[in-house]
Amino acid sequence: MTFLIQQTFICTIPLLIVAMAGMFAERSGIINIALDGIMIFGSFGGALTVYAFIKSGLFTESPQLIYVIAMIVSAIAGALFSLLLSFSAIKLKADQTIAGTAVNMLAPALVLFVIKIFFMQDKLVMPTLPGGKTLNFAILNTELPEFLQAFFSRAYISTYIVLGLYIALSVFLYKTKTGLRLRACGEHPQAADSVGVSVSAMRYLGTTISGALGGLGGFIYITTSAGGTAAGSVAGMGFLAIAIMIFGNWKPVGIALGSFLFGLLRCIGSAYASIDINGDGVFLLQEIGLPMYFYNIIPYAAVLIVLMFTAGKSRAPKAEGIPYDKGMR
Amino acid sequence: MKKTLSLVLAAIMLLGCLSAVACSKATYEIAIVTDVGQLMDKGFNQGTYEGAKAYAEENKKTYKYYQPANGSNATDEDRIAAMRQAINNGAKVIVTPGFLQETAIKTVAKDNPEVKFIFIDGWDLGLDNVVGVSYKEQESGYLAGYAAVMEGYTKLGFTGGGGGSNPACNRFGFGFVQGAAAAAKEKSVELGIKFSFQNGASFSASDALQSQISGWYQNGTEVVFACGGSMFDSVKAAAATYENAKIIGVDVDQSYESDRVITSATKGLAASVKLMLAKFYDGKFEKGGVTLGAAEDATGLPTDTFSTLKTWTLAEYNALYAQIKNGTLVPDSETPTDCNSAAWLTDWLTKGGYTNVTLSFE
Repeated sequence: MTFLIQQTFICTIPLLIVAMAGMFAERSGIINIALDGIMIFGSFGGALTVYAFIKSGLFTESPQLIYVIAMIVSAIAGALFSLLLSFSAIKLKADQTIAGTAVNMLAPALVLFVIKIFFMQDKLVMPTLPGGKTLNFAILNTELPEFLQAFFSRAYISTYIVLGLYIALSVFLYKTKTGLRLRACGEHPQAADSVGVSVSAMRYLGTTISGALGGLGGFIYITTSAGGTAAGSVAGMGFLAIAIMIFGNWKPVGIALGSFLFGLLRCIGSAYASIDINGDGVFLLQEIGLPMYFYNIIPYAAVLIVLMFTAGKSRAPKAEGIPYDKGMR
Repeated sequence: MKKTLSLVLAAIMLLGCLSAVACSKATYEIAIVTDVGQLMDKGFNQGTYEGAKAYAEENKKTYKYYQPANGSNATDEDRIAAMRQAINNGAKVIVTPGFLQETAIKTVAKDNPEVKFIFIDGWDLGLDNVVGVSYKEQESGYLAGYAAVMEGYTKLGFTGGGGGSNPACNRFGFGFVQGAAAAAKEKSVELGIKFSFQNGASFSASDALQSQISGWYQNGTEVVFACGGSMFDSVKAAAATYENAKIIGVDVDQSYESDRVITSATKGLAASVKLMLAKFYDGKFEKGGVTLGAAEDATGLPTDTFSTLKTWTLAEYNALYAQIKNGTLVPDSETPTDCNSAAWLTDWLTKGGYTNVTLSFE
């Protein structure tokens, strides 16, 4: 059980933050299909920061500090990269889906190009410290009582940061003036403009927050799932997150439910043979003897089923994907 | 008259220029054509290049490497262009690593029967001027499995790439089980091995693989053999959350990537490239396929970083290695074409009388 909770967090957190990223862009009226590319670029920014710290020997005795700084850098990298999308979508009024696809294609190419030119490798691997030690970002509190271990052991500090960000951003979107304006720009930008809200400023804000969260999510993903190796790929997590966002009906609560449900099922799907729910040493899911494919299908099948019942109520921001034109009322 | 003379003179000059260019154009006898990605990839391309370079420098041969256009998205067209360029530059022998080269080699080799091709990690392509070099991965796997058990680990895991259909990964995995079983019999200890091709179909890192391997470590698996490219990264991420989790690397010495790596089941690319080039220059080039192993120093564990193993000594390793080398110990190379079933391995274990091994297949 403890193991399942720990793993669920690892599977869920990147999805949660990237789905939130998608929500921020879309609620401001910009379809952000570029999340996958932004994640890739952000993950590279973070990995590069870790690399620089290790090579320069700074703060190497406090890995958590390096991890937090790298997370900030990855968010900045993601935000900067998302400007490509927001500039083309807002200033140039380009088709957002096409602009996003272009960003998605650019990101892995650019990242791999830089890695190859400067590191002569196919992927940027987190180097070992002088003396052969590996920097470890995971928090191990194995002496805690079992119940607390589920939440505070074999975990990453990013989990708590993301949960904090999730609450702060939800409050921001629903309880502040700026949040209201941002949402208005995604529903009826002409109305927002008529009361003096700058639609392009709000859309830039939404997309930039989206980029920052996407970059952060990308770096968290490669750290928790790939040992901090930036390889120009996040295994399609960006698209998965977009699906979760739609599943969550463009609302924070729905997104949280969706990503936890999906994270949990995905985790069961891949580690079913090691899950011992009640701690009696019987691995029930493996004992049943179903083929592994069955467990691998579960998360996707479950999401499809839930969507079948909830899709009727699903409602996207009304003005998303439409470049704002003052002349159209 | 003047006109004719000037024309003739001009023609002579032109010819002179051309021939001067032709003469001064450097030729490179040994060509290395990479498959995808960077030359210095710490893997196949680099190993091949280093072997060719070492041979060329020792024997005063000219060599040059060619990287197909488009980097990691290089297509057959790009590889064909690179090989043709190599031949234009006077290549007599082309060394190409990686199974992706098949189509390119077939195309270019047919057009240029006088040029020889060494297809590293390849197979018999049925052409007179191509030799496919494959490896006895089961030997490296055997040694790694043996080392892990001798080191005192009794709960092992194997996660392989290619979804059970990649012959090299299958041989690594089955060799690993054989070696571990043999060591367990010798020490008479009970052994538990988890064996899976589940999350490695594309040889890439994923959160799914990370979860699966974390589950293994959670339930007591002590060391996991990560056999397949970037899969190592996910095993490394899983090991990061368990204090004593250990990893076995593959292909090249991966102890430089993590302090959790106790050893790596390697292929001696450089050694085998040197060997094949020497054969070529001695006039012993043979078409078809060759399989290199310990006898040619082409398989084994890295001895430079052997200190990552604490209990099992280098001397003991060398003794075992010598047995494989001289043929007294032959790890079984046979694997089924699709390994997504434990039946074959279980049969093998029963036949060999390895009753103290519990194999759980995922």
